[in-house]
Amino acid sequence: MAMEVTQVLLNAQSIDGTVRKHAEDSLKQFQEQNLPGFLLSLSGELANDDKPIDSRKLAGLILKNALDAKEQHRKFELVQRWLSLDVNVKTQIKACLLKTLTSPVPDARSTASQVIAKIAGIELPQKQWPELIGSLLSNIHQLPAHVKQATLETLGYLCEEVSPDVVDQDHVNKILTAVVQGMNANEGNNDVRLAATRALYNALSFAQANFSNDMERDYIMRVVCEATQSTDLKIRQAAFECLVSISSTYYEKLAPYMQDIYSITAKAVREDEEPVALQAIEFWSSICDEEIDILEEYGGDFTGDSDIPCFYFIKQALPALVPMLLETLLKQEEDQDQDEGAWNIAMAGGTCLGLVARTVGDDIVPLVIPFIEENITKPDWRQREAATYAFGSILEGPSPDKLVHVVNVALTFMLNALTKDPNNHVKDTSAWTLGRIFEFLHGSTIDTPIITPANCQQIITVLLQSMKDAPNVAEKACGALYFLAQGYEDVGPSSPLTPFFQEIVQSLLTVTHREDAGESRLRTAAYETLNEVVRSSTDETAPMVLQLVPVIMMELHKTLEGQKLSSDEREKQSELQGLLCGCLQVIIQKLGSAEPTKYVFMQYADQIMGLFLRVFACRSATVHEEAMLAIGALAYATGPDFAKYMPEFYKYLEMGLQNFEEYQVCAVTVGVVGDICRALEEKILPYCDGIMTQLLKDLSSNQLHRSVKPPIFSCFGDIALAIGENFEKYLMYAMPMLQSAADLSAHTSGADDDMTEYTNSLRNGILEAYSGIFQGFKNSPKTQLLIPYAPHILQFLDSIYMEKDMDEVVMKTAIGLLGDLADTLGSNAGSLIQQSLSSKDFLNECLSSDDHMIKESAEWAKLAISKAISV
Amino acid sequence: MADEGLTPHRRDPIKSSVGNVAAQRRRQNAVTVGKERRESLVRAKRLCRVGTSGDSEVSVDNDMMVDEEQSILETQTAAAVEELKGKGAMHKRVDALRELRRILSRFEFPPVETALKAGAISTLVQCLSFGSPDEQLLEAAWCLTNIAAGKQEETKALLPALPLLIAHLGEKSSLPVAEQCAWALGNVAGEEEELRDVLLAQGALPPLARMMLPNKGSTVRTAAWALSNLIKGPDPKAASELIRVNGVLDAILCHLKKANEELATEVAWVVVYLSALSNVATSLLVKSDVLPQLVERLATTNSLQLLIPVLRSLGNLVAGDSNTICDILVPGHKVIEVLVKCLKSEHRVLKKEAAWVLSNIAAGSVEHKQLICSSEALALLLHLLSTSQSDIRKEVAYVLGNLCVSPTEGDGKPRLIQEHLISLVSRGCLPGFIDLVRSADIEAARLGLQFMELVLRGMPNGEGPKLVEQEDGIDAMERFQFHENEDLRNMANGLVDKYFGEDYGLDD
Repeated sequence: MAMEVTQVLLNAQSIDGTVRKHAEDSLKQFQEQNLPGFLLSLSGELANDDKPIDSRKLAGLILKNALDAKEQHRKFELVQRWLSLDVNVKTQIKACLLKTLTSPVPDARSTASQVIAKIAGIELPQKQWPELIGSLLSNIHQLPAHVKQATLETLGYLCEEVSPDVVDQDHVNKILTAVVQGMNANEGNNDVRLAATRALYNALSFAQANFSNDMERDYIMRVVCEATQSTDLKIRQAAFECLVSISSTYYEKLAPYMQDIYSITAKAVREDEEPVALQAIEFWSSICDEEIDILEEYGGDFTGDSDIPCFYFIKQALPALVPMLLETLLKQEEDQDQDEGAWNIAMAGGTCLGLVARTVGDDIVPLVIPFIEENITKPDWRQREAATYAFGSILEGPSPDKLVHVVNVALTFMLNALTKDPNNHVKDTSAWTLGRIFEFLHGSTIDTPIITPANCQQIITVLLQSMKDAPNVAEKACGALYFLAQGYEDVGPSSPLTPFFQEIVQSLLTVTHREDAGESRLRTAAYETLNEVVRSSTDETAPMVLQLVPVIMMELHKTLEGQKLSSDEREKQSELQGLLCGCLQVIIQKLGSAEPTKYVFMQYADQIMGLFLRVFACRSATVHEEAMLAIGALAYATGPDFAKYMPEFYKYLEMGLQNFEEYQVCAVTVGVVGDICRALEEKILPYCDGIMTQLLKDLSSNQLHRSVKPPIFSCFGDIALAIGENFEKYLMYAMPMLQSAADLSAHTSGADDDMTEYTNSLRNGILEAYSGIFQGFKNSPKTQLLIPYAPHILQFLDSIYMEKDMDEVVMKTAIGLLGDLADTLGSNAGSLIQQSLSSKDFLNECLSSDDHMIKESAEWAKLAISKAISV
Repeated sequence: MADEGLTPHRRDPIKSSVGNVAAQRRRQNAVTVGKERRESLVRAKRLCRVGTSGDSEVSVDNDMMVDEEQSILETQTAAAVEELKGKGAMHKRVDALRELRRILSRFEFPPVETALKAGAISTLVQCLSFGSPDEQLLEAAWCLTNIAAGKQEETKALLPALPLLIAHLGEKSSLPVAEQCAWALGNVAGEEEELRDVLLAQGALPPLARMMLPNKGSTVRTAAWALSNLIKGPDPKAASELIRVNGVLDAILCHLKKANEELATEVAWVVVYLSALSNVATSLLVKSDVLPQLVERLATTNSLQLLIPVLRSLGNLVAGDSNTICDILVPGHKVIEVLVKCLKSEHRVLKKEAAWVLSNIAAGSVEHKQLICSSEALALLLHLLSTSQSDIRKEVAYVLGNLCVSPTEGDGKPRLIQEHLISLVSRGCLPGFIDLVRSADIEAARLGLQFMELVLRGMPNGEGPKLVEQEDGIDAMERFQFHENEDLRNMANGLVDKYFGEDYGLDD
């Protein structure tokens, strides 16, 4: 059955495009015509030590891709395809793969181990290939080093692919034992030790039981710490990665080891090579993440039932940790501010310092201030930059009271540095620090204002001036202005920014036209800042915002002029269109929120819509997400008149709903359907057949990202609210979908936090759909049609109440639905509600809720129910 | 491939570009705006209906109500009004309004007076200014609705707010806002005639009428309710104006035909006042297809709330327009059938109204009288005459009396239909009428006397006086010998003199 494929595989990697294309076609054809033969041939190729390494590697890669894909639906198909293959074929393939693990060629072994892990990922959950782990582990001690290395690598990948619940504890113990022994300092072969350390990284999530056992945990921790001292850089890096993973997975078990870990990480941060030092810093950042989460839960509701207590590791380590982090700040790279992808020890150290500040609050301030004071005026730019960076990093966390005095002094200093410092980095960080000051210490919630009539003008002058500086500095200056404007969003009828509004807008528009605005994401920052300035503006400046409309429209119009663009130019065009549509979105929201400005704005509506439609027409297969968002805003502003745009716009709406691949586009479009429903009300009716068809398709597709499904359900509710009893014809499709989704989401037991959160958002979507439908049918002669669905809905409400894991949002929507049901069905619902298991308890619980929205919904539901029962 | 085994964990640097955060926030904001608008739409729909509890008298058990000291409540109210006067940002104003509204709606005796003293009205009027966001308008209108539901003086406090409330009824307003304003205005209109006149002078009627047109969803019911309050009269001008508004007549027909019972109830009340007050309206309604709809509703519903106004409308139309009776009694029409259903009902009001309608029918042509006599109604009426409460008996007496006479021809005394009289008397109706004669109610007594006159005059072979005497009729009449009411006194004395005078008994 196997065939000779070497030459085709080599040709498929040829530099000659024609040869390559031909070979790829042959492979495709082979695969389509005879899949078992194809896979057998590939595994044979991979196993054969006489074959060239290039053909073997490609054979393994194709095999791997035949088992797994990124897209969920494709992955599902591949899994089914593998499971349905003939058993003998699969056995032969697996034998070839296991044999390859003993090959002297490292790449062949490594490829084979990944393919084995993929097959294990498919078969172990089906209780197939039960002998795999046993056979890998049998006589692992006697294997030659290279085979041992391959076996450990395979175990590592296997732990990455399969979930812990399909491997029994006995196997877990054996895997961990083998891995930890491979990591041991006694292991003479570094390749084996590296493979073992990397395998442990993946196996950690299997080790719950072992980490609960003091002896086993001590052993594992000792081995990991020892590995951080290896002479091999990669082993040290891998060992620190294990420590990082342990810090989040087993935070509550760490106390006995923290002293040692501190010494190890401090040494690594100070002395080791960058990849290792970065992981050492990451350990502390990760501890901060854990403690911030725990403390947040403490603060949220003082029930104290958080599973994990806070050990205050950061607070305890503070006196040593902060100086260590401050030292890292001095290790900047020359061009890090120009390089968007840069990540180095100084950046990691500052990031960690910021997290430490958020974890411990006020305590960090006295530890950092001396460093700032000592360095901020030094001739070496590194010292000035590090001091500024340290200051900027600790502005979130400590209380404003603790900071306000320092900040007042620093403000003048920063403004000065931003204007006069000769060094680009120092200016960059000074502008960023100003932005942080405005973000955290300026705004309606702060008692002592940092910005006063006395310094406001100076601040704005400096920021606008800096927008003419190098792109990276200008970008940070825009950012500072962004937060400055944001702080004034609730300022009331008069804003201190009003006198400068025109100048600010003009400066930002000038920035967008800079030749170098493409660098350091300067253009994006300028437009987003413009948006924030507009969003936070007051009625005083409404006329100027109105004047901005034709200006931005003209810019958007210009992007549509270009002909015959290269793909690179096309991408730039699309990005610029995104920024301009985003800007129009904000302007439309702003002007649409008050009657007088809306009235004036409406004169532009037709033209703007025309532009958006042309932006859509620029692309053939996808819709422009930002244009879609802007149309949502336009629909609110135009109201029922939006109907006139629907004939032309509808096809793009449909296109957006069909976009499974870019699920964000789909999600945005679903949101816009809701916007349009509220704008058009019953005038949306002619389009509902198409929209509902598409939404139902989306729901039944396994290609669509799950996060879009709850909004789709909510969208059913929006449609029903808009078209009322006309929703009748969709009931037979929508109701079964809602019922089965309700059944699925009724119980979450055993799910993790993410899953519970998702389930709650799904429930909320389902409940909103029902509410919309019931309210839509209210006062119609067709309410009878809904009676058959009531028992199931009440059952659903019962079960989510019993489950005791709904969040506030679900609670509010659920009790509201109970009211809608009673309100719409009246006496028909009365007895059903009285019979339901928990409606009364649920209602009482909501009535005594502290959340006033829940209480309000409950009071209303109570009234509706008592009416329904009294009839 | 071998070396890419692990991708080192990379977190986002603390010093990052504002563009990333900003775009994300903007997107999130669009989602939030959508959610908020959905939320406020849903709330608005529910909230407006909470107001309906005012008229349907739902008793919410008080055990769950927070039993707060009146003084605390008053402090809260004053604080809420003060908060509202503050120059807060828009969303704060809405919060303050919501708080005030909650206080005004939550308690059995809402602290309206305190709110008024604190100056709530002028602030609320401010909140109604043009261009305000819907949620603010809605909450303000709702506060006013609750204030208007208070005592008469409190309702009058709304005078400064009326023009704006009316203005927000227009086409440009969102439906929830318009509906809430209609609710407030309905409360005002229900209070007294003087306020109705003010509302009419300020032009409240046309926009409310337009809200009643179909396809306006839940607003129709509120608008109908408000209109029925507004046209209550006693001046018939408003009713006549309403029926002339384009589309209103069709809307009434359409709702009576298709709407659910709650909406039909409010619409039927509009018909009640139209038909009671305005001749123009009555004749337009009769010419339209409204009668069959009313009969159909009577036949199909069991809701007392709906039956009452429908039955009364039917009665008004029958009484108000002589052609009506011919129209509704076309063969196959089940009007008698539905009236029988009402007579059988346990509700006193229904029985009485049904008897009243029948009395108007019985006042029609001979054919109509025969229709009643040949139906199940007769037995029920006879039974009611002897067993029911006095007000029902009176209506029944009218029916039975009308059955026995044909329309008066100039000279005062109605012409007898002897056949019917004999039949009724033989079925034992006389004692019932004689009972009426004994009633302290003058009108009832007159009815009894009139029927006795028929018996005395009309029973063949001079049987009348004997029958009357047998049932102690003479005694009953003699009670009027010196009655203060001259009419009755003369009538009774005349009958006694004429039929039981000196010659009485000589024949025997």
